[in-house]
Amino acid sequence: MELIAKERDRLLHRTARALGLTGSVLSLVGVVIPGVVPAPVVGLTLPLYLVLIGSQMMVGRSTSRRWVAVGLVSGLAALVILAVQAPTADAAAAMVPLAAAGLASLSLAVSPTLAWLALFSALAITSTTLVQRASASDDWISPPALAVLIGWILTALAGYWLAASVPRASRRIYSIGKAHRAERQASETEAQRRQSARLLHDTVLATLTLLAHSGVGVAPAALQQQASDDARLLRQLRLGATPTPQSSGSYNLEPVEETVLGTTLESVKQRFGRIGLEVTWHGTGQVLLPSDVLDAFLLALAECLENVRRHSGVTQADVTITDDATTVRAMVTDSGIGFDFAGIDEDKLGFKESVVARLREVGGNARLFSSQGSGTTVVLEVPK
Amino acid sequence: MTRAETAEATRRGRHTKPSSPGVARAWRQPNERGATLGTGHLGLGASVLCVVQAFYGLALFAAHWDSYPRTLPVVGAWALYLATIAVAIIILSTLGDRLPLWIYGVFLLLLAGVVVLDFVAIWPLGDIGGYATASVSAGFGLLLVVTLRAGHELIAAASTLALAFCTAIALTTPLTPSTLPTQLSTVALAVLPSVLGVMVLRGFRRMVQVELDRVLVQSTVSAPRFAVGMLASEELARLDLDAEELLDAVATGRTPLPLSPEDASVAATLATELRLHLIEGRRETWLYHAVTESELLGKAVSLTDRGSLAGLLDPTQRDGLLSGVWLIVSDSVKSKAPRTVQLTLGPRPQTSERLAGNRIAVPITITTTNLPRNRVDPAIWDSIGKIGRYRDSTHNGSLRLDITCLVDNPADR
Repeated sequence: MELIAKERDRLLHRTARALGLTGSVLSLVGVVIPGVVPAPVVGLTLPLYLVLIGSQMMVGRSTSRRWVAVGLVSGLAALVILAVQAPTADAAAAMVPLAAAGLASLSLAVSPTLAWLALFSALAITSTTLVQRASASDDWISPPALAVLIGWILTALAGYWLAASVPRASRRIYSIGKAHRAERQASETEAQRRQSARLLHDTVLATLTLLAHSGVGVAPAALQQQASDDARLLRQLRLGATPTPQSSGSYNLEPVEETVLGTTLESVKQRFGRIGLEVTWHGTGQVLLPSDVLDAFLLALAECLENVRRHSGVTQADVTITDDATTVRAMVTDSGIGFDFAGIDEDKLGFKESVVARLREVGGNARLFSSQGSGTTVVLEVPK
Repeated sequence: MTRAETAEATRRGRHTKPSSPGVARAWRQPNERGATLGTGHLGLGASVLCVVQAFYGLALFAAHWDSYPRTLPVVGAWALYLATIAVAIIILSTLGDRLPLWIYGVFLLLLAGVVVLDFVAIWPLGDIGGYATASVSAGFGLLLVVTLRAGHELIAAASTLALAFCTAIALTTPLTPSTLPTQLSTVALAVLPSVLGVMVLRGFRRMVQVELDRVLVQSTVSAPRFAVGMLASEELARLDLDAEELLDAVATGRTPLPLSPEDASVAATLATELRLHLIEGRRETWLYHAVTESELLGKAVSLTDRGSLAGLLDPTQRDGLLSGVWLIVSDSVKSKAPRTVQLTLGPRPQTSERLAGNRIAVPITITTTNLPRNRVDPAIWDSIGKIGRYRDSTHNGSLRLDITCLVDNPADR
């Protein structure tokens, strides 16, 4: 609210400047036309006009009341001098823009407190009277004086209406803002729901990776089966359900508090068997893990095996699962080509993101041992 | 540009000039809405001005009654003008916020008729400026449509009116010291309402849009440390759907195995993008989203926050930072040299000094261009003060702020 009030004031000040400058300049041009006003009177009013024009320019730039006051005093002084020193119909015609726009415009630049309202009402009446006096008309109110009065009325009306439109607009802006905040939260929640369907996305990613290699090396029937399972899960996700299938291709997706490691390990094994990596399992068959820890553990494990399949150049890997009182540990070893750490980019999307980050999230860790030509060993640890 | 390239470009652009097609889309909708927001009420005000001025014109008309050589044309002019604005007000209030071009054309023709009739009546008097009534009001009549048609169309109409006045004055009125000031005032009075109206409306629209932009971005202040942007879920949903379709095609045999190289590359692209979205999606802070989603900030602010430290700021500090930057940028919209802001968070100082309450210090540096120290809005200091202790200096003639922001240690959360 505070900021839009500032913007509103700026708009009113700029409007005041545009209207005021137009009025003052028009009036000045009228006054300096030879023959309209006697030369000494022109000399007397010219500085006042210049001060008025200067203060009107400042009103457009600064919110200080000082310039409004300076403008009012100089403008009023010019009016008084003209009305007293040159009371002719021609001079009255030249005074109209000064009174009706030059002075009246300054009312746009102040907030409508009672004191200002009283002051500007008095000024409106005074300037109308001055122009009436200058026009030396017998009428109750001469056309130039009427023009001044209507100038004040129109300016005040425009200022009031403009200021009144702002709170209305800002109320609507805030209701849009509120809707937007709800939308942002919904977007956040939805993204979270989809992102937290990690298991699902991992199997989808694995399948997509196979397809990216044209599915070479995998039995078409097996791949079709896997694709069909994954498509079904994605459909469920799309339709709003968090998928709760018994298994997807290889993973157990049942949302249970604790899952036995052994049964799910079997499915990991089958999965890699299907795509041509023979995995030999050693050690513990039955370990109970909280489901989020289990997920992270299995995903990291699958990622390691996928790396073996893709990079090691061998088709066999060993996985040894051990556990003690606090930790479950998996050791993935292959006797492939291995690699040199210096050749690996730290930030490369892959090991660090998919394995280390995932395990760290559940309080685990991963360590990698390898050297050129002597195979690779990865140790994965998660807390029980 | 393929999707993967787009995603890559978005990622690379993170610490430099943020841009992405999705952000532009997210912004455009409210922007379009904002263009008419609140102008309905403003249009009503313009109608009121027009009616009040018509009363003044009628009073003037009555005062001149005895001077007219022929009263029929001027009575006709007023009858036509009053009928036109009455019908126009009724039509416009039922039409909503759109005015078809042909109605605008008819409206202008009617106003032109008013001007012609009025001129015919006062032509022999030899003082257009002194006796014009309905034709001046026609200038105010243009205010009725000021919120409904583009500014240049109104300016064109007003210019035509001014031209008509000048021509008529040149042909009929001897320019003497006693007539010249009145002629000038009358022409100005006929043209000024439309010009000022267009100017005010432009300012009003800008004000509303800037405020709307600010309010929309303000919602990032309450976002979690890392957040997804407004369109992240949409993007992810799209990727999921593409993947689903591809997998379905494989499952049903529509896409035969082994895959053709094109299909394989589609699968590779999808996998890459999906991975990026799942892993990288939540790496951006609220500040990044605020800057990219805002039209105003997006153009002027460049953000460097390698450690994603902005996410650590509490809502009050965020609010202070956002509104401070906002004030710096929005203050300058009109000036020729636009202000820019370079916002740098971190790096965190390598001191072992323990701060009270186990809080950590995040250094924030704001460097600006085209903002002299003495032109700083006082409200900016208030906002910056909310972030933390600051030191201000001048760098290349423009303000530079070094702020030390104390935040809770994320390790304690």
